[in-house]
Amino acid sequence: MSRIKKAATLIASGVLLLFVFMYDVVRLTVELGDAGFLFLRELLVVAVMVGAFLLMREYARKGIGAAIKETGRLLIVVVASLVVAAGMGMLPGIGFSEGTSMPQNSVTAFFSLVVSMVVGTASIQTILTIKELVYHKRKRGTRRNFLTYVVLLLATAGFSLPVFANDLAILGTTTFILAVLMIVVNSFRQNWIVFLSRREKIYCIIYSALLFGAFLALSLVLSNRTFLQKAILFFSVPLERFVLLNSMYGAVYFGMAFITTLFHLPTAEAYERKQSELSSLHNLGRLVTQVFDFNDLVRTVTHMTREVSGARSAWLELIRQDPNGTRADIVSANNIDEGEIRIVMEGTEFSPRQFVMESKKALMIDDVGADRRTRHLKGRGLPVGSLLSVPLVSHGSLIGILNATKEISYGFDQDDSDVLTTLADHVTIAIENARLIEQSLERERLKQELMVAREMQKRLLPDRFPANPAMDVSAHSEPSLEVGGDYFDFVHLDEETVGIVVGDVSGKGVSAAFYMAEVKGIFQSLSKMTRSPRELLIRANQTLRENLERKAFISAVYAVFELGTGRVVLARAGHCPMVLVSRESNRLIRPNGLGLGLTDGELFEQSTEETVLTLKEGDVCLFYTDGITEARNGEGREFGYDRLVELATEVKDLPAVEIQNRILSEIGAYCGRSGPEDDLTLVVVKWLGKRPKDSKAHQGDHHE
Amino acid sequence: MSEFKVNHRDGEGFSVLELKGYLDAHTAPDLETTFQKLLTDKKFNIIVNCKDLTYISSAGLGVFMAYIEDVRKNRGDIKLTNMSPKVYNVFDLLGFPVLYEIYKDEQEAATKFRQQLKKG
Repeated sequence: MSRIKKAATLIASGVLLLFVFMYDVVRLTVELGDAGFLFLRELLVVAVMVGAFLLMREYARKGIGAAIKETGRLLIVVVASLVVAAGMGMLPGIGFSEGTSMPQNSVTAFFSLVVSMVVGTASIQTILTIKELVYHKRKRGTRRNFLTYVVLLLATAGFSLPVFANDLAILGTTTFILAVLMIVVNSFRQNWIVFLSRREKIYCIIYSALLFGAFLALSLVLSNRTFLQKAILFFSVPLERFVLLNSMYGAVYFGMAFITTLFHLPTAEAYERKQSELSSLHNLGRLVTQVFDFNDLVRTVTHMTREVSGARSAWLELIRQDPNGTRADIVSANNIDEGEIRIVMEGTEFSPRQFVMESKKALMIDDVGADRRTRHLKGRGLPVGSLLSVPLVSHGSLIGILNATKEISYGFDQDDSDVLTTLADHVTIAIENARLIEQSLERERLKQELMVAREMQKRLLPDRFPANPAMDVSAHSEPSLEVGGDYFDFVHLDEETVGIVVGDVSGKGVSAAFYMAEVKGIFQSLSKMTRSPRELLIRANQTLRENLERKAFISAVYAVFELGTGRVVLARAGHCPMVLVSRESNRLIRPNGLGLGLTDGELFEQSTEETVLTLKEGDVCLFYTDGITEARNGEGREFGYDRLVELATEVKDLPAVEIQNRILSEIGAYCGRSGPEDDLTLVVVKWLGKRPKDSKAHQGDHHE
Repeated sequence: MSEFKVNHRDGEGFSVLELKGYLDAHTAPDLETTFQKLLTDKKFNIIVNCKDLTYISSAGLGVFMAYIEDVRKNRGDIKLTNMSPKVYNVFDLLGFPVLYEIYKDEQEAATKFRQQLKKG
């Protein structure tokens, strides 16, 4: 109902009541024989009561939590109406004439009206409240029985209308008796009490006792020649029936409620606990979903610990191993601060934490102040009367301790210990899961980082190869892990000269990749300073000797091609020999030379030589890393130099890129399913022997 | 993956490490630990017998590089013996023969150590 409708109903009821009152005043002084008017007046009264019903229905509360509040409200309304009735009866100058039972004066008539309305509305509230309570946990027949009562109630009231005089008295009595019967039947519907909390049940006992008394009093008052009875009978006979029946209903119903609650009280606590255990077990599901946020998870854990055990405070400690030994971190505390926890858990003579850590068993101290082990805590002003500490054990090792305290001693019983142990098991799983997720996220992150590193490293290698009429070049490099230590590069020394370098950092993976990047920098800068491969390697050795860790070294081969003449100057620093396939013969070009970073300058200089070759049209040069020659098949046999040379001879007439692809696919096939174990690099140079046009070496778009 | 084993025995005035199997990045730490132990025990005259060494990778070579300086600083040496042609080729490619004394067999290396001891 909208506010306007409510106001309209209220005003309409008021106006109707005013009519009734005016009629009554007239009735007192003048004898009105017309039954029609009287009937009309009763109709007005009915309309007013209906209006009151509609209004009050709006304020009825529903649901489980509302039951006890509704009952409390009813008590207030009923007691208030009784007080009003009693108070008015005692007012001076009010009375009814002995014979006719009519008010002596219009003041009495007015008060009759008021008191009837008050008691009438209280009665409506009674029926509304009882309906809410009866309808709680409905069963088949609940509604039918209640409605039967309401129908009988209205019938009883209807049959007592003055218009029927006494003609229907028998019917009225019959329905009255049937209504009383239904009252008894309906009074067994006390299901709502079961669902009350212990606290609410105590209220319920008080309320229902008082309501029983109040309704009994009302029923008695209405059954005797009292002011109230006379007043209502004058105001409206049906209303008297209505109020009387409802009062009887109230008395019987709340009498029953009182007894029922009394019986339920001893089990209230157990019921309540089961209820909260049930809801907490339901909440265990929440633990699983919160594994993504560790802080949320531990907060929920301590909250739930309090919930299931009814503890005053709870906290969770997680065990951590660090260089100083095993430590316990307080990761979540509920209603207790860390200082207090330390006082409780870290006694000098007895530490509950130490006890649980060593025994991996639950610890329950019933009376902290009296227990031999924790007596020292007495008088410290801590709200800790009893303590329960439960270990979190995963795969036989302790990962944490779940603690709960109550202010009272003997606060925890075996049930609490069992429930917390069950909770601890779930918490253990949730925490382990949270950690696993964290780890896998970390692994995923590292994987991403490595993929970034792989991309970065790819960019360190040239994606454009020298393209000029004199040489046809193709190159490929593939790390065995995400990143590797292989390196190749091309340097354009001038229009007529191209340098090619292939290097291999010892080891694999990230460390090799860092050195590989360093090597690129060194080669790029040194190639601009010297044109002699030997000179370049000597200088590179100097730099690397200072920067490499001792067990790391780099092998490299550096060849400078003169495009105009086909002259190649080559130096080797411990690297695989260059394969030269020409029309007449195949050779491994292997000038002496030490790996970079192995020794100091002098020895390196002494042992490193330079070789000079002259290429002819159709010659093929292969630069590669040991990933090619040391590629192993399923039996552990290496691919080897012979096979490489043989294969190169076979395919020497193909273009460089095809030679490269053939060699790589042969190696792939040779390794079989397991694939290459080492980083693998191959640079193929096919000498075309044509002089560059316009004496200009330009970079083409020849991609890998 | 083939296994790798280091056997350590002491001769007169020198220690012998017998390497067996496959020495690469995975197995190199085993050899490192052995070298570390020799150095802490102040055994600086070391013969590495490569008779049963089937493969050595760059990471394996790195182990020798990591300790040679410390060993020589202490007037000792690492001498390599009994290499198969394949393993020798790997050493040779990097120029190790320039840096290390490589002998046909343990006997030769032992004799060399004895001569050096007399001189020293």
